[in-house]
Amino acid sequence: MTSAVEIQHIRKFFSSSQVLACDDVSLDVKKGEVHAIVGENGAGKTTLMSILYGLVTPDEGQILIDGKPVRISHPNDAIFHGIGMVHQHFKLVPSFTIAENIMLGIEPNRAGFIDSATEAEKVKQLAESFGLPVDPHLRIRDISVGLQQRVEILKILQRNAQVLILDEPTAVLTPQEVREFLTVVRSLAQTGRTILFITHKLAEVKAIADRVTIMRRGRNVGTHDAKDLTIREMANLMVGRVVSLQVDKSPAKPGEVILQAERLLVAGAGGIPAVFDASLELRAGEILGIAGVSGNGQTELVEALVGMRPVDEGQITFLGEDITSATVRERRLSGLAHVPEDRMTTGLNLTTNLDENVVVTNYQNEPYSRRGIFQFAAIRRLAQEIVDRFAVKSARVGEDIKTLSGGNLQKIVLGRELKGDPKLIIANQPTRGLDVGSIEFVHKTLVEERDKGSAVLLVSVELDEILALSDRIAVMFAGRIVAVLDRSEATEEKLGLLMAGSTLESLEHDEAAAEKATPV
Amino acid sequence: MKFLRRTFDNLSIPVIAVLLGLVASSLFVALANVSPIDTYQRLFCEGFGPRGCETFGDLVFIEVENEDGSLQTVFSPLYGSGGSRIALILEQITPLILTALSAAVAFQAGMFSIGMDGQFVMGAITVAFLGYALPDQIYMLAGVSDPEAAPEALKTAMHLIVPLICLSAAMAVGAIYSWIPGYFKVKLNVNVLISTIIFNAIAVQLVGYLVNYPLRSDLNNIARTRRIDDTAWLIPFNRGIFADVEWFSGARVGIGIFIALAAVALVWFYLRRTTAGYEQRMTRGSSLFARFGGIPTDRAALRAMLISGALSGLAGALAVLGVERRIVDGFATSGVGFEGVLVAILAKESIIGILLVAPFIAGLNLGATNLQFGDIPRQLGGIIISFIILFSAMEDFIRARLTALFKWRPTRQRSAPDGEGAAA
Ligand SMILES: Nc1ncnc2c1ncn2[C@@H]1O[C@H](COP(=O)(O)OP(=O)(O)O)[C@@H](O)[C@H]1O
Ligand SMILES: [Mg+2]
Repeated sequence: MTSAVEIQHIRKFFSSSQVLACDDVSLDVKKGEVHAIVGENGAGKTTLMSILYGLVTPDEGQILIDGKPVRISHPNDAIFHGIGMVHQHFKLVPSFTIAENIMLGIEPNRAGFIDSATEAEKVKQLAESFGLPVDPHLRIRDISVGLQQRVEILKILQRNAQVLILDEPTAVLTPQEVREFLTVVRSLAQTGRTILFITHKLAEVKAIADRVTIMRRGRNVGTHDAKDLTIREMANLMVGRVVSLQVDKSPAKPGEVILQAERLLVAGAGGIPAVFDASLELRAGEILGIAGVSGNGQTELVEALVGMRPVDEGQITFLGEDITSATVRERRLSGLAHVPEDRMTTGLNLTTNLDENVVVTNYQNEPYSRRGIFQFAAIRRLAQEIVDRFAVKSARVGEDIKTLSGGNLQKIVLGRELKGDPKLIIANQPTRGLDVGSIEFVHKTLVEERDKGSAVLLVSVELDEILALSDRIAVMFAGRIVAVLDRSEATEEKLGLLMAGSTLESLEHDEAAAEKATPV
Repeated sequence: MKFLRRTFDNLSIPVIAVLLGLVASSLFVALANVSPIDTYQRLFCEGFGPRGCETFGDLVFIEVENEDGSLQTVFSPLYGSGGSRIALILEQITPLILTALSAAVAFQAGMFSIGMDGQFVMGAITVAFLGYALPDQIYMLAGVSDPEAAPEALKTAMHLIVPLICLSAAMAVGAIYSWIPGYFKVKLNVNVLISTIIFNAIAVQLVGYLVNYPLRSDLNNIARTRRIDDTAWLIPFNRGIFADVEWFSGARVGIGIFIALAAVALVWFYLRRTTAGYEQRMTRGSSLFARFGGIPTDRAALRAMLISGALSGLAGALAVLGVERRIVDGFATSGVGFEGVLVAILAKESIIGILLVAPFIAGLNLGATNLQFGDIPRQLGGIIISFIILFSAMEDFIRARLTALFKWRPTRQRSAPDGEGAAA
């Protein structure tokens, strides 16, 4: 097989963050293969791909396409050489239709006016020829994330891409969408196209990649045939040490009741109720997992518990006090910590520096401020403490955090929230988008906090995570808590059925029926 | 090195913006049948140069005739009447700095308030009234029938107290006038941009009415309020302590400039060093983040609106107490508030940036006003300024073009995909 793309000795140093993002990286991508690139957050995967796509200029090294050296200094050059890239964060125009987005910049025109009928027709044909049906007239803002991704892919196919770079394409997809997506990738490879596929999910690598390149701290630490490596081996190579994919934890020793929610009714966006009649109880020293397909009221429930969303009916009791209408600050002062679902816009303010981020929950108190005036020395000490304790790589006191990787950002959030030994930690999707090393760290930290006597409410759409960490498991479906199980009675199938809308009674009924049908 | 580079980065874009603005407006200048170069030299000379300035070179060094007839080359900005240009600029930037700070404080809380004009005139009308009504009351209470014959001690005390009360009252009025749209935003989610535009219109009409009817002082052709009492007057330098200094001769710059500079320092301190400033900046940066952290975002936004309004009200008060001494019909449409918004935007809301941009805009304004003394139409000045502002606002665009220009390499091979020429 011949090479589609050869990357030779690429080096890139970011002087603004003092990071050597790519350190003498070489990579040989064969024509027609699905080539996965894995590595921890911040390993330099996106940087390497951005270099190939002409978004970042390397300090050293060269790129060969079809065996010939080329200079790619702008995405236009990359497109010219048949390279297309779908970014981690989509770059579509929300108010435009699918067809308009795909044809953006290359619109068919009649006497200078955009010919939208031809445009839609072309897009339709294109979509069908690749077996990726779309309705060209829908607007981006009205379609699902999975469909948006399909539009991004069609967009680069329309520009005749032979090499497709997909940067963490599955991070934002639901499990269904992931399955569909993987089939699409396969069929694209069968048309002779080459796919460069960045992911954190090692199971996906096993499922569709022909070869896999593992990056660690800016270096290529090996390219292998995907079938030659187990998931565990890949994880260890990525992190550079043996990682535990299992969580070690001793049985919970539940203490007094910390949090009690009774019959909560909470409105979601637009005033439509999102949580109905939800009750739960959480004790010190235990982890209560909330399982559910995303969008079943988990986010609204969490926001109501932490005080960011009003409760319409019902009562929340925290440490014996009624906090139903307490402010976020009052709840935090009495010992509540919150690791939010979205660390980029809720958990952190990426427009400012590390110091102002770590002090947000505590800025009004001594020693961080005195009579309304900041005491910067104390704040810098706090920032340094968090950076040290959680080993936040490449974060520096007083400097911006927007170029930090997801894992490092989450460490900052955790460091801030766990400061001062909270009584209750509410963590919503705490490992979304993180690499295995960071996931291991987050899990270990949550279990440690539990063992120190905190109550932990863990909301996650990843069943594995729920099963690995929880002592008890509540399942949410359509805004209701449909079941609360002990970890010992919970199995993946049972949770899956509950998450899809079955009730406990019907499950028990089925079990009983099954027992009857198969006489012992 | 890093510092040098950053300074170069920060300076090169505005300079390019100004040049582009000049090039673009050349079209209009040419339409007016005058030479662009002459027009621009005149604009900058009238704005920033000393008397006798005729070319761009004169802006830096100019040859002057000594008393004995010999010629001497001097550094223009500091030379004699050249300095009076500085004083004029100082006069103009006093309200400009305050309204720009006002806009910056609101913007930095995520409130796109452009209500500076309304708050400015509300502050102004407040002191235009209090400036004579308050001393009247004091004289009456003190039993003084003829103010001329009032005891010296009383007058000295009044010189201190009356302006202080006037300034405070104007700040309070401006603050309230800005708080209302803020409250509408926070409670009812009414767009601040729109409500402040409406509030500006209301203020202009209200002040117009007050000047024409209840507060009209005489039968002068153009309606005007009574002149404020001497004890309320913040005497400009050229009438007071620096009456003999040539520099200050033509300008009504006074204590107001120091108040404006103090406001710069205080606002900077507030935004960067206090928890209250932090609250409003976080609210703007990401209101989800602020609410998540427990910051009372509504309170922070309203506080910003109060401070913003107080600054504009103060600007209006200084314009009356230090410069105009009364309000003449038409004052309300001067547009100083809106220029403050422009300065804040051009300075990218940076407090230090405001200190640099305000004099530049003030100088351009001076130049534009004086264009008409040549045979160049006055309106051209406005057009040129508008273009310069337009291009300054296109900073991101210019930056992107610049980067593309530097990245561009002639080795790109577009026509021959298999060409050998692309070898690195
Ligand atoms: N534009 C940039 N400026 C400065 N540092 C950057 C920039 N982009 C990435 N980095 C740094 O380079 C490293 C590699 O980042 P990235 O390539 O995004 O990693 P990955 O995609 O593997 O998670 C990180 O430490 C990141 O902070
Ligand atoms: Mg990345």
